[in-house]
Amino acid sequence: MEQIIANGLYLGAQYALIALGLTLIFSLMNVLNFAHGQMYVFGGFVTYTVVVQLGLPFIVGLFASAIVLAVMGAAIEKFLFAPVVRRSKRDESTMLLAAGIAFFLDAVILLFFGEKQRGVPKIVNGVLNLDMRIIMPYDRILIGVLAILLIVAFIAFMHYSRTGRAMRALAQDKVAAQLMGVNVSRYSMIGFALGAMLAGLVGGLLVTITGVNLGMGGPTSVKAFLMIMIGGAGVISGAIAGGFILGMMESVGLTVLSAYGDITYLVIFASLMVFLAVRPQGLMGKPWG
Amino acid sequence: MTPILQIKNITKRYGGLTAVNDVSFDVKAGEILSVIGPNGAGKSTLFKLISSFVPATSGEVLFNGGRISSLAPHKVAQMGVVRTFQETTIFRSMTVRENIIVSHHLRSKASLFGFFLGTKQAKEDEAAFASSADDIVDFLGLQAIRNELASNLPQGHLRALGMAIGLATDPKVILLDEPFAGMNHDETMKMVGLVRRLRDERGVTVLLVEHDMPAVMKISDRIVCINFGQKIAEGTPQEIRENEKVIEAYLGSEDAAIGM
Amino acid sequence: MIGKKLLGFIAFLVVVFVLVPLFISATGRWDFFYTLTSVALLSVGAAGVWLTFYIGRINIGQGAYALIGGYVSTILVTQANVSFWLTLPLAGLFCAIISVAIGFPILRLRGVYFAMVTLVLTEVARLTALALPITNGAKGITSIPLPGELSIFGLTIIPAFGTLSNPRFGFYIMAVLLMIITYLVLWRIVNSRLGHLCRSLQQNEELSASIGVNTAYLRVLAYAISSFFGGIAGAMFASIAQSIYPSSFVVADSVNFMLYCFLGGLGYVFGPMLGTLLLYFGWDLLSIAREYQLLIYSGVMILLMLVLPNGVLSLLDKKEGSR
Repeated sequence: MEQIIANGLYLGAQYALIALGLTLIFSLMNVLNFAHGQMYVFGGFVTYTVVVQLGLPFIVGLFASAIVLAVMGAAIEKFLFAPVVRRSKRDESTMLLAAGIAFFLDAVILLFFGEKQRGVPKIVNGVLNLDMRIIMPYDRILIGVLAILLIVAFIAFMHYSRTGRAMRALAQDKVAAQLMGVNVSRYSMIGFALGAMLAGLVGGLLVTITGVNLGMGGPTSVKAFLMIMIGGAGVISGAIAGGFILGMMESVGLTVLSAYGDITYLVIFASLMVFLAVRPQGLMGKPWG
Repeated sequence: MTPILQIKNITKRYGGLTAVNDVSFDVKAGEILSVIGPNGAGKSTLFKLISSFVPATSGEVLFNGGRISSLAPHKVAQMGVVRTFQETTIFRSMTVRENIIVSHHLRSKASLFGFFLGTKQAKEDEAAFASSADDIVDFLGLQAIRNELASNLPQGHLRALGMAIGLATDPKVILLDEPFAGMNHDETMKMVGLVRRLRDERGVTVLLVEHDMPAVMKISDRIVCINFGQKIAEGTPQEIRENEKVIEAYLGSEDAAIGM
Repeated sequence: MIGKKLLGFIAFLVVVFVLVPLFISATGRWDFFYTLTSVALLSVGAAGVWLTFYIGRINIGQGAYALIGGYVSTILVTQANVSFWLTLPLAGLFCAIISVAIGFPILRLRGVYFAMVTLVLTEVARLTALALPITNGAKGITSIPLPGELSIFGLTIIPAFGTLSNPRFGFYIMAVLLMIITYLVLWRIVNSRLGHLCRSLQQNEELSASIGVNTAYLRVLAYAISSFFGGIAGAMFASIAQSIYPSSFVVADSVNFMLYCFLGGLGYVFGPMLGTLLLYFGWDLLSIAREYQLLIYSGVMILLMLVLPNGVLSLLDKKEGSR
């Protein structure tokens, strides 16, 4: 039982971090970022390159992932999303663009890093063993703690910094924020960069444990969508709740349902459908977002 | 004769907030009745309750003696109680004429499948809708803009188009949500004339919600005043003008010129 | 006006039934038949997605219905010995019924919310196919017999595919016919009252209800028609490939259906057809670029979006002036 909860928390912290980036982008620009999973994979590969191929410390790799993805996110927003949002008749058009970017990133990853699974050697060795009730390698604990620290830092940033507050105002009411003098295009870009950076950071964290490969992008995006649907799209607390709930469900499901074969996700999806039929806006979302 | 519309003890609560509290009044066939009240008095909620767009917490609305609250909005419209919207609620990427034609939905005799096959009845319907749409265009004086895209229209025309959409459904009672909002004096006077003709020439009973007191005084047969979700007065424009509670409500909230 | 449309239609028929086969036999690229068959069938599915767009919903779940349709037809053919030609409409109907049950609750969702749920739906269909005994799990169902003869009162309308000297050509003709019928139906829907009401729904659901439209019913109806198209496309696919697996239609396929619609243009009935042709055929042609295939493909897609954010067919608008 304790083991399940510990696994759930560890998974949940990663998931919440991914969902936070996705929900931030969604709340600012009403864009569903299909490429989020690919950004996460890209972040993993950057850390891998820095640590394994250049032989630099892990922390440098993590920073590199954050910077590369932030720059990439800012560029994608400025040169791709902003012009399309401005000119298209229906805001759904951004979905085609997002999907195109997802494919494009897949192609870039394929060219630069190939199809192989890549990982980084363990950063700390040893396993925590509490009476055989909780068994968890130290590196997982470290990564879990780092993820939680990042979540806390993100929330603090959104609450206390000028930039964070401006973005929250923008997410709540675009028109009002504009009237108050918030520079919409600038903060959309910063928000997109920040969201992409979070995805890259999770990639950098997880490459040390599970490794990354080309095929992980799409499924990761689907999982991230699940999380923000559970919690309510565009709401920070919802993303965190969604991440931890999905992590827990996965952890419980893999233990309890393993006897019936690989049906954990089928059960999760089915219960989500029922949940959304009752509460379409998710746990903490506003009706109709 | 039973009133065409009876609002009976209707109440709407959102969480702890009571938006409309135990409001009752009748609307007689063929009259123009206005609901007035300061901002946030619950007028718009009242309209949504009557057109059944939101469910009432308690109380009911009767149309020709039959209960219409708790029916789906499209059912209420089918019975002949049709709501127009505040501001710019129209089908934006259709032309004026297309907007009006599509709104003739309720008058279709052919089924959707009949329209798909293009049966004789469907063709007759299409022709009838087109000529009725042209009638409405003439009635509201929209000839010059009939083929304009709705999203290109200025405010005043949008309001008229909203009314045209309502008229196309062949309503018995039409609910107009702030028909004079944002209009200058001339536009308002034109609209007042239009609403009158709606009743006089088309026999439609009109229930409207409005801020613009001079216009309301001019146009209404009777007025209902609500404040903080409660009905505080009901009567002819003359009676309302002299009602102390009404004056108090308006002076207490904002000293907007009531224009009395 | 009508004459012009008819002429265009005849020209289209001549191209697909005469010129394309001539071109293929002249160049010897018989594999193009297979590619074009796929294009035709995918565009049938895309037509359904387009119809859901027409009521203002982003549908990324067509892969689920294609998969369900494929399995329904396959199971009926292999286990109950039903004629393929009968299973084709049955697969569509089955999908339509399922979509009514699913659509009723989820069609209340709008925008991105609906999109995400439908995306999940594709994954649910795949996982269900993996878990159910009748679908034979990950191994799928293989060696499905080719469609047999279709005859009415002893009159052969379609010969058994096994007897054809060139079944590829036969499939091509069938798929294109199916596509033409689908788009005629779609065109008729859009230009009849049903389509006008769908459009009113797309633009403003509240106003639509207030003019007396039963919006819930109309949404479910459009979604059911959409899923019907998805189902028959999937059934035909399974029959051509003579096999079906849980991974025959996955999330990426659902996304692609949506992309075909976007690329062609959401405001044009024939948009999804053109979008499918450009994207699928383009992808196929790009295979000469080897490892750069995906890079070029997605790069071009992004560029197109930047240049023509309202779809390729929006080029037509500019010629006609502002509208």
